[in-house]
Amino acid sequence: MNGAFERVGIRPLPPEPAAKPQRRRGAPVLSAVLLSAIAAGCLACGLFAAKDPSYMDLEHCAVPPGNAFWFGTDTMGRDIFSMIWHGGRLSLFIGVTAAAVSTVLGVVFGAVSGCAPGWLDAALMRLTEIWLSVPSLLLTVLLQAALGRASPLSLALVIGASDWTAIAKVVRTEVRQLRNSEYILAAKSMGGGFFYLLRRHLAPNFIPSILFMVVMNVRTAIAAESTLSFMGLGLPLETVTWGSMLSLSEKALLSGAWWIILIPGGFLTVTLLCVTSLGDYLRKSASRRERNL
Amino acid sequence: MSIWNMALGWGKRLLTLLLSVFLLVTAVFYVSRLAPGDPLVAYYGDRVERMTPDERAWAKDRLGLNDPITVQYVRWLGRALHGDFGISYQYKMDAAEVIASRAGNTLILGGAGFVLTFSLSLLLGVLCAWHEDGPLDRVLCKLGTAASCVPEFWLSLVFILVFSITLRWLPSSGAYSIGGGGLGDRLAHLALPVSVVVAGHLWYYAYMVRNRLLEEVRADYVLLAKSKGLTKGRVMFRHCLRNALPSYLSLMAISVPHILGGTYIVETVFSYPGLGTLSYESTRYQDYNLLMLLCLLSGTVVMVSGMAAQFINQRLDPRLSARDAAGVREP
Repeated sequence: MNGAFERVGIRPLPPEPAAKPQRRRGAPVLSAVLLSAIAAGCLACGLFAAKDPSYMDLEHCAVPPGNAFWFGTDTMGRDIFSMIWHGGRLSLFIGVTAAAVSTVLGVVFGAVSGCAPGWLDAALMRLTEIWLSVPSLLLTVLLQAALGRASPLSLALVIGASDWTAIAKVVRTEVRQLRNSEYILAAKSMGGGFFYLLRRHLAPNFIPSILFMVVMNVRTAIAAESTLSFMGLGLPLETVTWGSMLSLSEKALLSGAWWIILIPGGFLTVTLLCVTSLGDYLRKSASRRERNL
Repeated sequence: MSIWNMALGWGKRLLTLLLSVFLLVTAVFYVSRLAPGDPLVAYYGDRVERMTPDERAWAKDRLGLNDPITVQYVRWLGRALHGDFGISYQYKMDAAEVIASRAGNTLILGGAGFVLTFSLSLLLGVLCAWHEDGPLDRVLCKLGTAASCVPEFWLSLVFILVFSITLRWLPSSGAYSIGGGGLGDRLAHLALPVSVVVAGHLWYYAYMVRNRLLEEVRADYVLLAKSKGLTKGRVMFRHCLRNALPSYLSLMAISVPHILGGTYIVETVFSYPGLGTLSYESTRYQDYNLLMLLCLLSGTVVMVSGMAAQFINQRLDPRLSARDAAGVREP
């Protein structure tokens, strides 16, 4: 304190303690490592899983795990070890693509509904309720049927299209709160279009609150794909994914071939668990930020 | 709030409900007809492959599948309004009869699953909130998150593998043994499907109870109650739980279709003769009339439980209806 404006009557405050590099509490390190290991393994599957995942070695059907086949073979004589990695690539691809589709749909729908006049908003929200009231399994099957032959991309589109309502609702609420703020009005009066406003002014506000929903949608989509393919409603048996690998499990149950069921399902469950704990962490940190405001 | 106002509010809701169901049914009707596939296969089975084109045309005409979709739609709607939902192609009976014969099984499975989920989640939630951040709470939270991530169909498979095939304790499929069987037999067949349904949903609701309770525990009135010297149990059950219950009950009302939907997959894996297997079959084999009626039913259940949730909320939480009466609208 030097110069004319010396403060009088205030006890000098102790210097602020230097901000410690605080380790974030409960960061899901293990999940992140496991998930990246699985993802890396799936992406680089050509390097170490040399056997053709679709080759049917009919002399070796339902062989238990051993030296020749690390994870055994399924009832059609395919090597489960390479199927896991090659199939995982598709499963993850479908999960991520479907989540992207549902995010785009949800954000656009929610933003339109949030900006729209009251009656349109009410109608759009009623529409999401109707959408929600169709059982999701039935919805995906119907959409899939309307799109025609199932391919990984079409299945991802269908799963994404059936799962956007939660995001739309959150985005709509946030947009309704924001839409009359001065900076939005200013941007509008300067001639900003709808998508410009959405990108530059609205999205930065709601991204933290929908981020964890996006991650959770990846989980839902992976689970949905495997469930559909398992029931024979999704991808055909020849397209190897974690779900379609499990669709052989009925025969495996009869012969007691546990590895055909437990190994792909284990990979699937571990992946889902990792994605979930990442999502949970994001949600907690988002709500922590809100509480600090 | 006057009686008149309330009646008006509920009338409006009923109207939107009817409109929603109508829109839903219309959409499903058109989309399901767009789907490629041959509904004749459901009716005639393998014989379809040996049919001449003339026979096919005759069969289609008999089932009324030759007309434009809109004509079919109007005809279906007209009959449905008179309570005639057409026959199921696959079972060659009235669609309503087919559903009635199966609905009981699903209600037992879904009902048992719902009651167990409801009571166990309340118990677990209170337990976790009581021991907040203690070792028990942490272990339960970890376990619960893990359990909720396991896909239901895979959990069913693992249960069958362990309990039916390896240990031979419980049957793996159906709702009862061939040739009937008493209550014990029914229960043995229910055990695995119900535990899968409960395991899949339990944690979601338990976690919700736990978090709601913890929110309440931090409130000022709890501080007052504590300073008055009330015991922890009294504060927890008489004060916190009571405040947390309305939102929990309304959540449970919304979750009726959620849990019923969960039984669909489980039913299919366990070949349990209920509505789930029925809707799977009807979608797969294009059994149009059956599919429409199932959609109508499930849509109605969803929307009615949504209304029930609103009603519960208003009844248990007078603040909400006070806000309604004052004309405050949701932002």
